[in-house]
Amino acid sequence: MEILELVQANLLTPVVLFFIFGVIAARIKSDLKIPDAISEFLPIYLLAAIGLHGGLEMRKTGFESMLVPLLVAVGLSVLMTLYHYQILRNLGKFNIFDSYALASTYGAVGAVTFSVGLSFLKNQGIASEGYITAILAVLEPIAFILAIFLTNMAVSKQTQIKKQAFTKKDNADVLEINTQQETKLFQVLRESITGKAIVILLGSILIGYAIDTDGFAPIKIVFEDLFIGAIAIFLIEMGIIAGHRLDDIKKGGVFLIGFALAMPTINGIIGVLIATYLGLSIGGAVMYGLLFASASFIAAPAVLRHTIPQAKPSLYITSALGITFPYIIMVLLPVMLILSTAFHNMELMNFGYLVENLK
Amino acid sequence: MKLYNMKLLTITCEILAQTNVIDILHKHHVSGYTFYEVSGNGSKGIRGQGFQNEKNVKIEVILQDKKLSDVLEEIARTMFPDYTIITYVSDIDVVRIEKFS
Repeated sequence: MEILELVQANLLTPVVLFFIFGVIAARIKSDLKIPDAISEFLPIYLLAAIGLHGGLEMRKTGFESMLVPLLVAVGLSVLMTLYHYQILRNLGKFNIFDSYALASTYGAVGAVTFSVGLSFLKNQGIASEGYITAILAVLEPIAFILAIFLTNMAVSKQTQIKKQAFTKKDNADVLEINTQQETKLFQVLRESITGKAIVILLGSILIGYAIDTDGFAPIKIVFEDLFIGAIAIFLIEMGIIAGHRLDDIKKGGVFLIGFALAMPTINGIIGVLIATYLGLSIGGAVMYGLLFASASFIAAPAVLRHTIPQAKPSLYITSALGITFPYIIMVLLPVMLILSTAFHNMELMNFGYLVENLK
Repeated sequence: MKLYNMKLLTITCEILAQTNVIDILHKHHVSGYTFYEVSGNGSKGIRGQGFQNEKNVKIEVILQDKKLSDVLEEIARTMFPDYTIITYVSDIDVVRIEKFS
């Protein structure tokens, strides 16, 4: 079976093995730990490398080709966050805050997962469109802003109803609450756009675009040749953190485990299908699918803890890092690659069939 | 040397709640504070490992009695339900009272 073979081969890549190694180290209660400064530095490095790569590729392809995939991605991200919420709230019976927090965690993009995806494709010798990195940067804040906006709406509606039950002359108070929430939303928008992830990503895309391949040559050794090695080191740390959280997974309940496995699969396949339809390459479709499959576990807590403090971070961090992330890097990536290849072949065949018919 | 009686408010909380505390302090015109990253164990389990975002921070504020209750009340009302947080107050003596007006 082709899928099993590819999954097996993928399990034996250094990136995945180091992750599993980290989990084991945590389980045997080893004191192994990547120093703080390095584990803070690595995400910045990874985003810079992704950004440069994206910028260089965009120089080759130009901006026009990215517009439609970008707009579709924004639409999909919004749509997915909304149906995540409906599933969590109505089927999973989570409270409104946890539902919105989880919905946006899964609607948002995981930059670490994205890096692992790039290294996976590199291992397979498959290229992908560079502008997907720019889509990553645009998509990053969208799911959060939507979830926070909707949570605020829901909360202010509730307070309004409660207030009306007490008194009729409540307009001034409600107005005050509304303006407070508007500033909160504006603050989130500002904070997430000036947040370090987006700043470094956009900055490196611009630099990559400006320097072109010639300018990239002297820094290639740092930003390209060391890329996979750096991911491997970072994944030791991710493995350790995930390993420490394994016990928490049970607390989330069976529904959340199912959600954390099923949602990325469905979203990822939708992404691959749409990307194939939009004419992205085989590798590009995998990365596009990965944008929707991945869940955010570094950016999400930083944003959500401030804006939806009522939601339990143990739920959304644990499910994103402890279940979804390992599942994606071990199983879903190879599966998406095979599906993408299959869809592309089908499309080619259809196209061939059409051409035949035209003759 | 003459010593003046003041209050020391100590807040240990998750690092992501730090801005909330500092906003409250600013709101009550308290501009001086010290903070440092800490780790420990408590009702939320061992904290301070793993992600930078999940570390704890300890904030120390020296202030006068009359401001203390307002600050404490706002922290309790807005932060106790949702955040990992421990606060306590102690009596201390300072030399230069004009620094804490």
